[in-house]
Amino acid sequence: MNDDLRTLVSYIIYCYSHNHRPNQFIIYQLSEMNHDEKHQKPKTPTITLRKFTLSDVDAFMSWAADPRVTRFQRRDPYSDPADALAYITTHILPHPWYRAICIDNTPVGSISVKPAPGEDRHRASIGYRLAYDYWGKGIATEALKLTIKAAFEELDHLERLEAIADVDNPASQRVLEKAGFKEEGILRKYVRLKGETRDMVMFSFLLSDAV
Amino acid sequence: MDEQTTEINRSRQPLTVTLREFELTDVDDYFVWASDDRVSPWWRWDTFTNKEDVLTFMEETVLPHPWMRAICLDGRPVGAISVTRRTAEHQCRAELGYVIASQYWGRGITTEAVKLVLGTIFGDMEGLERLEALVLVQNVGSQKVLEKAGFTKEGILKKYLIHKGKISDMVMYSFIPSEN
Repeated sequence: MNDDLRTLVSYIIYCYSHNHRPNQFIIYQLSEMNHDEKHQKPKTPTITLRKFTLSDVDAFMSWAADPRVTRFQRRDPYSDPADALAYITTHILPHPWYRAICIDNTPVGSISVKPAPGEDRHRASIGYRLAYDYWGKGIATEALKLTIKAAFEELDHLERLEAIADVDNPASQRVLEKAGFKEEGILRKYVRLKGETRDMVMFSFLLSDAV
Repeated sequence: MDEQTTEINRSRQPLTVTLREFELTDVDDYFVWASDDRVSPWWRWDTFTNKEDVLTFMEETVLPHPWMRAICLDGRPVGAISVTRRTAEHQCRAELGYVIASQYWGRGITTEAVKLVLGTIFGDMEGLERLEALVLVQNVGSQKVLEKAGFTKEGILKKYLIHKGKISDMVMYSFIPSEN
């Protein structure tokens, strides 16, 4: 029972013990609050971003070995932690910007920012993955918001962040929209994914949008 | 040498547009559009001022390019068209680029050259499923070329490329043989 509810219950008990009729509006509010408390949306847990270390390999496997998570990724799920360790060593640790999405300092996913090749250093693309049990809690959206802020602060000359989501991945499209990305169009037959050529939705977040 | 041809009827003056591979002996013709101040603002290079630089450019960039052709009018190069394929997981797509001397603008020549490419490129490049082109939002002429050739506008990618030192919005066009 929260404080507001407690106050109102005390008010009603007071009214009846003193032969006052409680204000009907207050009774209505009481019942609404009780309803809200039972049906409250779970709050997004506090998430932090930090660099990976080799000791994160087990946590890493919690999403990297899961076919539900790798469904829209180019790679197949890992089955051997040794392969995951090799990936962390050769790809994640030297990466220009790769972070673990953490709850209580335990990684539950990852997010990365990759600058565009060649001369277009003003542009970078974001990718993210989250362990299945943590989907639907607003965690990816929160991680994106933190990443947007950090990327524009830390990466020189950055003006455009972009992300692509498979047309058949509406969950990821919603995450990007909630984080403030704007849809620019559908790029047909844009990438090869597990033997198929996929249509992708292109999203962008501009530095000028961050103001 | 491959030759693809088409006839254009324009006020009783048929013109033949063909594509062929470049040779270093084309340097004089290449210099015509490479040194044209009306052309270079739309292309990523700066205006060339001497033929030696154009020759070097042809040796280093044009001749070694995996797929680049001279756009020829009645057998004489008046421009260039290229298809640059992406790598790895993006091999399904390639980017189209073209340039033509300004005296030949507005005559449908580039559109014909693009159509010739469309007729051959998907056979030349196995596994190619998407031909795309990025055009500056201000380059209405180039957008018309692509639309007339049958490309579809997919959207505007904001602040996408650095063009002549300025971060520019680009219009994305694509041609998908299975759909267009």
